[in-house]
Amino acid sequence: MDIRVLRPSDIPHVQQTNITNLPENYFCKYYLYHALSWPQLSYVAVDVSRPKKTPYDAPKIVGYVLAKMEEDPADGVQHGHITSLSVMRTHRRLGLAEKLMRQSQRAMFETYGAVYVSLHVRVSNIAALALYRDTLGFKVGDTEAKYYADGEDAFSMRMDLDYLRNEALDEESEEEDTVGKDEGGEVGSAGKAGDGVDGPKKKEKKRKVRVGRQLGVGELVERNESSKPTLTNGTA
Amino acid sequence: MAANQVLPSKEQTLFRHVVQNYESKQYKKGLKAAEQILRKHPNHGDTQAMKALILSSQGKSEEAFELCKLALKNAMKSQVCWHVYGLLYRGQRNYEEALKAYRFALRLDPDSSQIQRDLAMLQVQMRDYEGYVQSRRTMLQARPQHRQNWTALAIALQMSGDLAGAEDVLQKYEESMRQTPNRNDMEHAEAVLYKNTIIAERGEMERALEHVDSVAKMALDKTAVMEMRAQYLLALDRNDGAVEAYTKLLRRNPEHREYYEGLEKAMGLDRSKTEDHQKLGEMYHGWAEQSDRVDAPRRLPLDFKTGDAFRQHADKYLRRMLKKGVPSTFANLKQLYSDPEKKETIRELVEGYLSEQPQANGGAERSEPNGSADGSHATKSKAQDSATTWELSVNYFLAQHYDYHLSRDLSKARKYIDRAIELKPSETDYTYHMTRARVLKHAGNVTEASKAMNEAMEMDLKDRYINTKCAKYQLRNNQHDDAVATMGLFTRKEAVGGPLGDLLDMQCVWYITEDGEAYLRQGNLGLALKRFKAVFDVFVTWEDDQFDFHSFSLRKGMVRAYVDMLRWEDRLREHPFFTRAALSAIGVYCLLFDQPQLAKGGAANGEGAEGAAERKKAAKKAKREAEKAEAERKAAAAKKATPAKKDEDGEVKKEDADPQGVELLKTAGEKPLEEAMKWVEPLLEMSPRSVEGQFAGFEVYIRRKKYLPALKCLLAVYSTDPEHPKCHEQGCRLRLALEKLDESLPEKVKQIIESEFLQKFIPKGSVEENNEEYLAKHKDSALHVHGVVRVRQALHPDGSGGVKEKSAQDLQQTLGSEGTNLTQAEEGLRLLNEGLGADGKAREAYVAKARERWPEAAVFRVS
Ligand SMILES: CC(C)(COP(=O)(O)OP(=O)(O)OC[C@H]1O[C@@H](n2cnc3c(N)ncnc32)[C@H](O)[C@@H]1OP(=O)(O)O)[C@@H](O)C(=O)NCCC(=O)NCCS
Repeated sequence: MDIRVLRPSDIPHVQQTNITNLPENYFCKYYLYHALSWPQLSYVAVDVSRPKKTPYDAPKIVGYVLAKMEEDPADGVQHGHITSLSVMRTHRRLGLAEKLMRQSQRAMFETYGAVYVSLHVRVSNIAALALYRDTLGFKVGDTEAKYYADGEDAFSMRMDLDYLRNEALDEESEEEDTVGKDEGGEVGSAGKAGDGVDGPKKKEKKRKVRVGRQLGVGELVERNESSKPTLTNGTA
Repeated sequence: MAANQVLPSKEQTLFRHVVQNYESKQYKKGLKAAEQILRKHPNHGDTQAMKALILSSQGKSEEAFELCKLALKNAMKSQVCWHVYGLLYRGQRNYEEALKAYRFALRLDPDSSQIQRDLAMLQVQMRDYEGYVQSRRTMLQARPQHRQNWTALAIALQMSGDLAGAEDVLQKYEESMRQTPNRNDMEHAEAVLYKNTIIAERGEMERALEHVDSVAKMALDKTAVMEMRAQYLLALDRNDGAVEAYTKLLRRNPEHREYYEGLEKAMGLDRSKTEDHQKLGEMYHGWAEQSDRVDAPRRLPLDFKTGDAFRQHADKYLRRMLKKGVPSTFANLKQLYSDPEKKETIRELVEGYLSEQPQANGGAERSEPNGSADGSHATKSKAQDSATTWELSVNYFLAQHYDYHLSRDLSKARKYIDRAIELKPSETDYTYHMTRARVLKHAGNVTEASKAMNEAMEMDLKDRYINTKCAKYQLRNNQHDDAVATMGLFTRKEAVGGPLGDLLDMQCVWYITEDGEAYLRQGNLGLALKRFKAVFDVFVTWEDDQFDFHSFSLRKGMVRAYVDMLRWEDRLREHPFFTRAALSAIGVYCLLFDQPQLAKGGAANGEGAEGAAERKKAAKKAKREAEKAEAERKAAAAKKATPAKKDEDGEVKKEDADPQGVELLKTAGEKPLEEAMKWVEPLLEMSPRSVEGQFAGFEVYIRRKKYLPALKCLLAVYSTDPEHPKCHEQGCRLRLALEKLDESLPEKVKQIIESEFLQKFIPKGSVEENNEEYLAKHKDSALHVHGVVRVRQALHPDGSGGVKEKSAQDLQQTLGSEGTNLTQAEEGLRLLNEGLGADGKAREAYVAKARERWPEAAVFRVS
């Protein structure tokens, strides 16, 4: 399974993976909106071991993370947001979700100076909760009542991206060292959760923005200005 | 401007309100104001045009067009009217006409930046790059202070093929900058990298490298910078630097194949050379050592290692994965099965594990058990000790192995999957039940498969993945209603049109396609076409989706991603989703051409009695459903005060006036081949190397008597896969068609056919002789025999010369050949039924024989 950044051409399959795994679904345009606004943040896991069937086989996406930057952060702090994450059942428990998340988090930090990343998760989603809290180190914040269309509550979670600053420093100081030195378990275990899981320190002011489909695409992509006609007084 | 087009000042103010109302989507207010003006000045063109624009925003596009035409009559010289006219056309995706209208408007008002902008957006949407470059130049001249305008011109030049020009424009802007931009200036950071991609596209690697180094500090997309550097270093044979660059990249992401490939090249290693294997092995080992959680460097060596080295490595890999219980182990390895030796080795290894105790699996690397390192979650079934995990994984792997088409032995597959299920992994883990259903499907037992998948779904009703699988299996078993109900467990409750409406809205292409194919299987051509058309429309939407980004992306400044999107959209329809629907749809249109009565709901030619009965039943059911739907629709309409649902923009969600595809089928029946061409053209243009696509193209062209294009399709396959059995069949059919021509072809066409086709590919002798010789050579191959049978049909459409009997005999023979698979056997039956109209006896004999071999296959069970 290959982990790489999402490209526009991946979108049909990402969309299919999403609608196969989750009830929150989006139009192609909403994926494009992510891919063209923050092209560094969304990642895909591709099954590169599939035997080719035709010369035009599209890369088979078995997992993806769709991510964005919050456009007008209510708290004034630059931060990223996970719009959607899922992995095909046949490819779960391989560490794909974790790897996708880590790539995305780093890009949020490096490219946009994100201070933290936030997300919502169904309170009943044990797998996702374990992934976010135990594996990645997210902290559980408020519960948002009836956040999902079917009436389920969501936990709002977030994670500081400070640890990336240290990683970046390490990387820089390493520039001088020779290449190929042992990294220990850096790739996998860096940033594993610390023990005490407190609630978030800063309470984010919540806007009631539901993930995905509740928003029409018209609102997602800025209004298409070209539908305004020319107006030169009409009496020229 | 004509005097009657000048408004007094009060109305001028009102007119401005109309415009504002329109812009803020206060359509009702806007209409009211417009009408107020029109009461006094009934022929005021601009007001009429504005009113038309508002009407079209409300979904009343016919009315809008009419009004706008009237407006134009009143004010031929008003740029507002022409502009609106263009907007209306654009709203209908009639870009050609929109373009003309904008051009007209612009001629009347050359300084209007809005018209210019709309024109430009349309040009790039239509890929009229020449025009786009010109527009962009004009726009840049008008507003050189905006960086966007420079970038936009550069993009236009790049897309038109003028890379030097593009670079030059970007350069000029940079030179004109008075101060160095801020470190967090995203637009600048991105523009700089964009320029770098242009330098690289020009092939100037040296300069690209220098440039990327010089801007690396200010670039914000660090991954991209590192990737660019690595590529350039490699292209320039600066191998030490490239090794270093790829190593850094791999440290950030050790699961990306491209980086390993780069590293291999930089290290001068070549997988195809055995002498390099040692070093390659060490390199990958080094990366595997870095982390316990990384897969790629462990898996990759299996691609190049052979013999004993392969066996050892595979053993280690398999043990590690199976011990951990990674469910995708087989999926991750099946690619290796194209090498028979590797396939055998893997089988031997895993079958060997059956008899082992898990403790004895020495040689595996230390790895975490099936939980996380800190063991913090108790959610995993604790009871699942390592011995069970091992036994489960091994049996599961073998079940998949024996289910896979390259190593299929379904009774073994069933044995192993049953064993896995006996081990009772957990109440909710449906993985093994799901695979059991899959094995049943491969045995052709679609009914049992659907039941089994349903059982799997019931183990975990909250999981959409298994829900999806279940719906798919229900469709394979033609259970449309059940499938919709299943999907309905996860679709939006409020969606217009129920679960299916939601799936259409959400562009769920797989479902729409499967649904259509299921209808096709049952002979419900109307609904089949309706679904395929829905897929077609999804692609139209996807193409249209890019429109807003032509301006959006310039504002956002993410230029590289935008260029990427343009290039993807250019090739949108090469996607397999499109091809699959296209092939099915084209099949339907050809059928409608061959048997026009089908468009009127008649039965297919030569169909067996029960097939006809079945079809009648289906038609009746469809009619009942249509009536029911119609009644419901009327009831709903009567109940509601508002005629149709509107979304927030006030746009009307149209109700489906033809839910059963009856009208669609009727229109399709009127000109099936023209309709087919809507699919054929993009198919051949975007996927010329698709063999299936070329065959489908041939089928349409030969029916249209377009012999050269038909030949072109055929030759495309001849040039890549001359042994393909379809080549023989279509080659013969083309010859026959040419022999039977009423009028002779133009000399030039004849010559081409003679030199490019007949002389090159066709052996001496008549079609009939060729065909029988061909049969003698290939009688053990079902596909070849099918081809022969089709040619015979073309030779003797009336069934003269005993071809029916001969063909029935030959088809039945193929059932005994080892290489024949279930799909081919089904195709043989279809040929017998539909093509040959074989008598009951021949059919029974075929089915009986097939049933011996595929006792569970549903298609051979009913009789
Ligand atoms: C949640 C989801 C994305 C996890 O994907 P994944 O690729 O299987 O997760 P990973 O393999 O990266 O798991 C990393 C860690 O997360 C935790 N985790 C993942 N799945 C878990 C499960 N079912 N139960 C408990 N912990 C789990 C584990 O700690 C795991 O590490 P480990 O395997 O070493 O123990 C996947 O289950 C999924 O797609 N579910 C459906 C869609 C969904 O719920 N998305 C989240 C919406 S917010």
